[in-house]
Amino acid sequence: MTHVGLIRWIARHARLMAVHGALALAVALPLSAQRTHVLLVIGLSGAPQFKRSFTAAAQSARDAAVNRWGVSDSSLIVLTEDSTRSALSSGRSTRENIAQSFLRLSSRVQPGDVLFVMLMGHGSGEGAQSKVNLPGPDATAAEYASWLAGFNKQQVVFVNAATGSGDFVAVLKAPNRVIVTATKTSNERNESVFLQYFAGALGMDAADADKDGRLSVFEVFRFARTEVGKVYTSSNRMQTEHALVSDSLLATRVAFGTSAASADPRITALIAERQALESDVASLRTKKATMTAEAYDAELERLLLALAEKTKAIRAAGGGS
Amino acid sequence: MRRSALRRCALRRSAWLLSAVSVLTPMAACGQDRAVAQPPAATIQRVAGPDRWASEIAAAEASARRGDRRAATQRAARITAAYEKGGARNSDEYLSAGRAYVLLGIGNAQAVRSALAAFDRATAADSNNFDAQRRAGELFLEKYNAPDARVSFEGILRRSPTDAKALLALARVEEFEGKGDPMATARLSIASDPRYAEALAFVAKMQRDAEAYDSARVYAQRAIDADSTSTAGWSVLGSMAFLNGDSATFRKALAAVTALQPAPAEFYTDLAEASVRQRRYTEAVTLAQRATGYDSLYVPAYGVLGTNQLRTGQMDAGRAALERAFVLDPFNLWHKNTLDLLDKMKTFRTIDRGRFRVVAPPEEAELLALYIVPLLEQAYDALAVRYGYKPPTPIRLEFYRYHADFSVRTVGLAGLGALGVSFGSLLAMDTPNGREKGQFNWGSTAWHELTHAFTLGASDHRVPRWLSEGLSVLEERRVGRGWGADATVSYVLAMANGKLRPISQLSDGFLRPRFPEETQFSYYQASLFCEMVEVSRGAAALPAMLKAYRDGIDTPGVFQKVLGKTPAQIDAEFEAYTQRKFAQAISAVRGTSPNDSSGGKFVATMREAAAKMGSDRDAARRLYEQARAIFPEYGGDDGPAWYLAQIAESVGDTTLALAMVEQVTSRNETAWEANLFEANLREKRGDKAGAIRALDRLNWIWPYDPTVHTRLAVLAASQGDHARAVLERRAIIAMGPTDVLDARYELARALRDAGDIAAARRELLQVLEEAPSFEKAQALLLELRGK
Repeated sequence: MTHVGLIRWIARHARLMAVHGALALAVALPLSAQRTHVLLVIGLSGAPQFKRSFTAAAQSARDAAVNRWGVSDSSLIVLTEDSTRSALSSGRSTRENIAQSFLRLSSRVQPGDVLFVMLMGHGSGEGAQSKVNLPGPDATAAEYASWLAGFNKQQVVFVNAATGSGDFVAVLKAPNRVIVTATKTSNERNESVFLQYFAGALGMDAADADKDGRLSVFEVFRFARTEVGKVYTSSNRMQTEHALVSDSLLATRVAFGTSAASADPRITALIAERQALESDVASLRTKKATMTAEAYDAELERLLLALAEKTKAIRAAGGGS
Repeated sequence: MRRSALRRCALRRSAWLLSAVSVLTPMAACGQDRAVAQPPAATIQRVAGPDRWASEIAAAEASARRGDRRAATQRAARITAAYEKGGARNSDEYLSAGRAYVLLGIGNAQAVRSALAAFDRATAADSNNFDAQRRAGELFLEKYNAPDARVSFEGILRRSPTDAKALLALARVEEFEGKGDPMATARLSIASDPRYAEALAFVAKMQRDAEAYDSARVYAQRAIDADSTSTAGWSVLGSMAFLNGDSATFRKALAAVTALQPAPAEFYTDLAEASVRQRRYTEAVTLAQRATGYDSLYVPAYGVLGTNQLRTGQMDAGRAALERAFVLDPFNLWHKNTLDLLDKMKTFRTIDRGRFRVVAPPEEAELLALYIVPLLEQAYDALAVRYGYKPPTPIRLEFYRYHADFSVRTVGLAGLGALGVSFGSLLAMDTPNGREKGQFNWGSTAWHELTHAFTLGASDHRVPRWLSEGLSVLEERRVGRGWGADATVSYVLAMANGKLRPISQLSDGFLRPRFPEETQFSYYQASLFCEMVEVSRGAAALPAMLKAYRDGIDTPGVFQKVLGKTPAQIDAEFEAYTQRKFAQAISAVRGTSPNDSSGGKFVATMREAAAKMGSDRDAARRLYEQARAIFPEYGGDDGPAWYLAQIAESVGDTTLALAMVEQVTSRNETAWEANLFEANLREKRGDKAGAIRALDRLNWIWPYDPTVHTRLAVLAASQGDHARAVLERRAIIAMGPTDVLDARYELARALRDAGDIAAARRELLQVLEEAPSFEKAQALLLELRGK
């Protein structure tokens, strides 16, 4: 392929991407209107250290939902293994309560909303019969799939952070749905550390790889996966858990955190200008190979300075990030 | 080399034990396949009579000894052709056929198998044919299968316990395996046949390798007197003459050998190996090259050549030589392991900085280079002044993430206990995470190994191992930071119970340890000797000793010339010095009898204190104080000072806690917890400079803790040490943080603080290129625009 051909191809590809993006926006609500609904399920722990670990993870996820994603109390359900209610718990994590919770949330969601579900515990079974151990009868992956069927107008993020969770991906995979599992297969059943890093990352700036102030599911997943790898490498152990994400493109688009939108038209205009500059930077990056280093650096610095000025102006006008 | 015997043989033997299974594999196959290329036994017509091939095989072997391989293989091929066509008539003919196959065995694994099968048949035909059994054993050993070799020789000795040849063969197995006492077994052989030249030469060689040159010379001469055609005897004599610069004796030995072997490849290979034992790797390469020039099929020559080319940094040439060796002898695990490692090393990253070349796994290279290069630059300058010598640069420092790889790099096999090794201008060591955190200090190890490069060079590689190790440990201690060995309870006990060797015999402490800890003790003991010399004769005495060795003077001569005493007088002086130095410690740990290793009053008091810690902390404190009073030098992180520090801290007495923990951190180079404790305490007390020092010590124990680097960066910045802050920020990035953009933003800030605006800006542009929305970075970019 000649350079000219390559550039043409990039241009055509960029147009297709823009169309694709526009279609995606058409089905999604504006960020400011999009709401997030959360269901956290802690299964049976079996031992005090697991109980502490699961509870801490659920608390991290809950804190992130409330403090960073702005999830309202009515859209937040936390089910734990204990029958007594607590500050954290909305009820016991029985199969019936889980089903009820999905039902309750289905009545609250609007098209374009995000449903975030996270399971914590010990996994068992395989294929459609994969489970997370619960008080009483366990719910199977197939049952979770049926409960999620009512959310086909929402973006669903389903995280099974239990051991042996890998088979959930194949069973739950569907359009507009991101499935994250702590392990690659149902056979990876050794104690896993993915949960603590994934739950921790939900409220962590460090996981925000592109530093745009919002955490995409993929950023959280990638952060957790990297940290898990480090745990095994630094302790010279063979890695016995390999997390999966079902749809990395969608996982990149689904993000949590405050949006930059504002009711002030002056700020809205500044934000639009800043977004245009960000696009210019992205566009410039695609041309890097065709430019001299000096020309590229000069143009990059010009755009970045303009971008920085724009952010400063937004801040000065009372706008958020 | 640090904390392990340098003697190649010992290393090879100990490593062998760990790798025996893998070594055995090819020979196990060999044993199962012995019938290959043999005439079917059932078809052989057994005819009594003389061995038809006796003179032919004798002539073939004589040709091989002379180095005339062509004639040897032609004759051998004639024998094996006849054997394969018509079979053998009796045990002796099987034996001759086996000997012929041995001569055809270079680069021919099939011939090796056929040789073993023929020896087996010779033994089956006549169970009294010990020669066949012995040759089978020798062939096993030649192909690195010591267990089967041992079975062969022990079989002979059960029926003929004084068989001199079998005894010598067993001694060779013991030497190879590192089991038993090969010297004693060889002496039994000599006792059985006092004029057995091979056994005499074997003992001579062992003595030479143990640096007992006088004794080696006597045995070598006895071998030659018994048999003037003993090339092994001439070889030992010639190699010692070569190493000591005695050109007349060397020429005489060379002439004698050349008369027997016009192409003396074996002689030059032995010279090369002897040079390696004196750590004269460059000369070993030259000598091995001469050997390969004489005989292009002589495997040991290629092995020595390749191994030592790799040790002198000639990586491509070394690989080529080992590949040649491996083609000729595919049974050689040492060569195979090394070649496999060289393949693995293709992924390593090389960083050239200053006078050093760091070669390390890619994920660690930058982090390690950031710290080790400035440290070694500092060491290089200090040592160059002290020893008046500058090793050639760049000095190559290789790091291995897996200890087995380091071990293969050093001795060709896994299982070496050392942490680092020095081949002069090539150093190799474990990466800090090649072992558990707290097991070693990578800074002091590198300093130790670099010191060898100076002491070896300053003495023209003639310094004995024990002194070189002593100097390296002493140099570690000079750095401070708690580096360098210190007195342990077990060391003081060994001293008190007379288990340590006198200085004049300290070489044996490294080369022939009598108990597991002796090598370790010998390092410390050697360093104490160096300390004593410096205290009593001044700083110039140690370099003067190296110079004397360089001039070819032996150890007694060096003692006399530089220290003004005989070895016996030095032994007495050292004994008095250490008894004085450790008088209090000895009385603290000495038991009620010479064999009492309980640790005396010190250990008893520590035990009592530990028992009280849970129930009566005050009583425990008093007991720890008593223990400390009776052995104040003890710096272990299980000692009284460490516990007293923790008790003091728990009651808020940070001054006492600091004073106590310093007793540990100033004496113990791997005390992670104690250094962390000290860093926290100092930071709490506002002693930022002190906290930095403690954190720095932590970094040399384990550089992979990002919180240590972050704390160092923050503290250094607050102290105005912006260069250090930049270093720490770079270290964090080198560790591959998950949030790399934030780490690079922090580096940009540190660079700004250090006044390097251009670098800060470059860093920021790269960060923002990846994350244009990164608000903190945007703000900093705006700020820098104005500068």
